[in-house]
Amino acid sequence: MLLRLLHFFRGWVSFTVSGKYPERFLNITARRNIRLWDVQRKDGGFTACMYRSDYRRIRPVARGAGVTLRIYKKNGLPGMIGRYRGRVGVVIGACAFLVSVFVMSLFVWSVDITGCQTVSRTQMLADLREQGLYVGAFKPLIDPKQVSREMMLRRREIGWMAVNLTGSYASVEIKEEAPAPEVEDISAPCNVKARSDGLILRIEAMEGETEITEGSGVIEGQLLVSGVRTGGQGESRLVHAQARVYARTAREASFSVPAVSNTLIPNGETAQRKSFLLFGLRLPYHISAVRSPYSVSSRELWSPCPLNITLPLGASVETVSALEYQEQELDDNSAEELLTREAQLYEIFSLSDCTVENRDYHLSYSDSVYTLRATYTCVEDIAYKEPIGTDENTDLTPRIVPTESE
Amino acid sequence: MKEKQRDKQREKRHVSAIPSANESFIEVSGNHEILIEGSKGVLEYTSEKVRVNTASMLLTVCGRGLNLRCISDSALIIDGFITSLNFEV
Repeated sequence: MLLRLLHFFRGWVSFTVSGKYPERFLNITARRNIRLWDVQRKDGGFTACMYRSDYRRIRPVARGAGVTLRIYKKNGLPGMIGRYRGRVGVVIGACAFLVSVFVMSLFVWSVDITGCQTVSRTQMLADLREQGLYVGAFKPLIDPKQVSREMMLRRREIGWMAVNLTGSYASVEIKEEAPAPEVEDISAPCNVKARSDGLILRIEAMEGETEITEGSGVIEGQLLVSGVRTGGQGESRLVHAQARVYARTAREASFSVPAVSNTLIPNGETAQRKSFLLFGLRLPYHISAVRSPYSVSSRELWSPCPLNITLPLGASVETVSALEYQEQELDDNSAEELLTREAQLYEIFSLSDCTVENRDYHLSYSDSVYTLRATYTCVEDIAYKEPIGTDENTDLTPRIVPTESE
Repeated sequence: MKEKQRDKQREKRHVSAIPSANESFIEVSGNHEILIEGSKGVLEYTSEKVRVNTASMLLTVCGRGLNLRCISDSALIIDGFITSLNFEV
């Protein structure tokens, strides 16, 4: 391998030797310390290889030995340079290529983030951009350790982060931090009260004195389990009351929609904007627009990712759909359908902690507005803890009932 | 004691393997390559036969497709399918 490299840099020629005594030529070259290799017998003579510089010296020797030399191939670097000596453009092109490779290697051409679970990838890219790490960023100005430190300070949900710059490829690895569970202070005295009105179905008291019985009705804020325990001798002590109190409650919600409304609806007119993405630059090659002032757009990005490395090129297609205001008039059925759907969504998201036993919808129409009143009968835990007043707002002075004489 | 004698014998063998000015050193690898050190010139070269003059003898290498892989002032390497070696003293 090393010898081949040496041959390449010194340059060598392949030539044929023909004449009466080719062996004589071999001996003379050997005596003059000229190296020959790959000597092969061909009809009437032989072929051999020799360094380019030696070949110039050997011409008079060949004449003396009575043989004729003929070059059939020139190899190596000097030959290549000689071939392109007259072509200035090729030399300039080669230099420009080398310079461009050097310059391009000074920039970041791809940023990949791995380990995102709850953290938004888009948000991470935006934050990294603020820290100076983005596609097209000047690499010598980036301090990976500083970037990761700043990002961890900025986003508390990141437990560990590393920024690796490999050539022009930046890989960001993150590990999200598991949030510490809330630790309840069970030594602080507190009462358990009712969050809402309801009919008590079941009481599971772990600590404290129960003040209500199953089957009784309670109102919002009523004491359910007291944190003040009274001993057999009549002494009192404060405890951290804990209980789950299940009650049947009634929840109400109303949803309304105007009978006549102006809404933005797609009118069918669409336009596409296509562009190439090259080294962080967006190069549009197809532009069109919609006439309507209102529009909604969606963008599709395509970028090749061989070996999970996003390359700094791709294509983007943005589809713009025109919108226009249209007057819509609802009838009873469509209004009920629309409002019932809203009520169902409310039930899914707002009553997720309750077991809904019964639901009742009532649709009414007045002043060009449809209103759906929904009533839910639920079974839920209505207990909440309230600390026994020791803060500055608590009035701890003994209550003195004024007598009539006073 | 025996080990010392063995070492001395080894040294003698090694010294005798180095060719002197009037001797040639020939190394044959299988039947496909032969290195000749101390050659004084190639007398005849065809693809079937190479005759090499050394200091004390004439060496003839016969075979098929014989090539002179490398040739310098005092050494040459012949490769190909070697069928016989002939020494003429």
